[in-house]
Amino acid sequence: MSSQEHNGVWVFSESPQLMLELLGKGRKFADDLGTELVSIAIGDVDAQKLIQHGADKVLAVTNPELKTFQVDTYTDAFENLIGERKPDILLIGATRNGLEFAPRLAERLKTGCVTEATRLELDAEKKFLLVDRVSWGGNLTETHVSRAKPQIATVARGLFTPIAPDSARKGEVVTVEPKFKPPSTKLVETKPKTAKGVKVTDAAVIVSFGRGVRKKEDMAIVEQLAKTMGAVVSCSRPIAEDLHWLPEDQYVGLSGQKVSPKLYLALGISGQIQHLTGIRNSRVIVAVNNDPKAPIFEYSDYNIVADLYQMIPALIEAVRQLGKS
Amino acid sequence: MVKIIVLVKQVFQTADLKVDRASKTVVTQGVPRVISETDKNAVEEAIRIKEKLGGKITAISLGPPEAKEALREVLAMGADEGCLLTDAAFQGSDAHATANVLAAAVTKILEYDLILCGAYSEDVYAFQVGPRLAEICNLPQITYAVKLTIEGDKAVAERDLENERQVVEAKLPCLVSVSREINEPRLPTLMAIMAASKKPMNTWTAADLKLEAHEIGFNGSLNEILRSTVSAGERKRVTLQGEPKDVAPKIVKTLLEEGVLTVS
Repeated sequence: MSSQEHNGVWVFSESPQLMLELLGKGRKFADDLGTELVSIAIGDVDAQKLIQHGADKVLAVTNPELKTFQVDTYTDAFENLIGERKPDILLIGATRNGLEFAPRLAERLKTGCVTEATRLELDAEKKFLLVDRVSWGGNLTETHVSRAKPQIATVARGLFTPIAPDSARKGEVVTVEPKFKPPSTKLVETKPKTAKGVKVTDAAVIVSFGRGVRKKEDMAIVEQLAKTMGAVVSCSRPIAEDLHWLPEDQYVGLSGQKVSPKLYLALGISGQIQHLTGIRNSRVIVAVNNDPKAPIFEYSDYNIVADLYQMIPALIEAVRQLGKS
Repeated sequence: MVKIIVLVKQVFQTADLKVDRASKTVVTQGVPRVISETDKNAVEEAIRIKEKLGGKITAISLGPPEAKEALREVLAMGADEGCLLTDAAFQGSDAHATANVLAAAVTKILEYDLILCGAYSEDVYAFQVGPRLAEICNLPQITYAVKLTIEGDKAVAERDLENERQVVEAKLPCLVSVSREINEPRLPTLMAIMAASKKPMNTWTAADLKLEAHEIGFNGSLNEILRSTVSAGERKRVTLQGEPKDVAPKIVKTLLEEGVLTVS
């Protein structure tokens, strides 16, 4: 397929926040390519808000049956829209639904797809989308390119930043009703997850711990430090998957949550590459570990070689003192 | 009676992988090969279904000849038959080409009611092969299952999403990918390990699967890897030394000044 046939940068996520983040990056690509930025809005989405955040066009999908995500109907609907309009690039939010949907759509369209992108850029001649992702358990970063179009990539929360909304921005809202077949799966029930405060993916400050915490009871001092710092607690993979001290939603890593806080404090986490991949979008990383050779020290901004059982009380005290002054 | 196919990937123990910074390659020498974790959960789930409803479990692995070890392990856990898909022509396959090979095995040779796989592989984490295979085979798919039951001619699964859990059902045949939370994979007994060596093991090449060169390997792929670099964060790596009571105020002050911490 020649690239002349394919034009436009499309973004889609059922997560409103991710949609704005994708628009932030998509705006830059659309400007660089001299093409339009299109947001696919399904259901009750505020189209004007998308335009204010960079969209040139909003394809407003109005079919009531598509309000709820189902992989079959979404694959059909996107196949239909893409077949008619032939975008060059499609960025999809890497939620679990997004990850269920993007590869299936790519297979339907017989095109490439790069999931869990860590970086996106155009090649020098602006013909191809170069997509980085980590592989080999996080050890290598591979740069992928698709041999077909549209070029599809999925992007997790926190990689891109929305542009500042501009209420003067103008854009077009086009109502569309894509075709789809009845779904082969049926959504029987939706259960809310037990509420547990701020999610790690939304947290500005994270206090995270690993195997350096020796007993389950010792989590109490970690939680106390987190409370003092106004932070959310997370953990490394073994704490959730092997010891089950915290739910799986709270472990950070390549296979778990990818976080993007302003501050990530790693307590007693050795820093396997699988964990580091989950924290790479953190602004500042502070590591406390009693092993000076711990790999985490290679990937942190501030390294503290100390026994965390001494360091945590000292940190709690320091935050309290400095908070007063 | 449920005929189940389980997809099993053999991976290097990722925690033991190191990078040779000079050659920018991953050092695999001496690193053990293991079954990707979530695939073990898929095998366990298949065994539990068979224990309840009866049936047959066929495990498929695409990989080098060494992947036979992974299949033997799965047979020891309780699968009935192993199929190794191995051919030099499969090398360099992306998720699409991989799905092509698996699809050939499941559609041209095997019969099934249910395909089970891990939601992702431990080395690549692409989440792609399951959905791509389901698409090629025109099957309903349910991903990221944390619970699964077979009720008559339907699979009913609970999916774990960011903010909610969904109960989704699909008519058989279908494909279900599972997360690690779904079960605790069993360890095979010594007796089972010995008995596994007598279970049937097939080895199929591209020719056996009637696959052509343009469908598989590098040429059959839709994605191309242009280059690989060593993953490295650009971090300050400032070491703070001293007694905790001296270091703590120092780091807290630094973080306040950098604006990444606010205290009230």
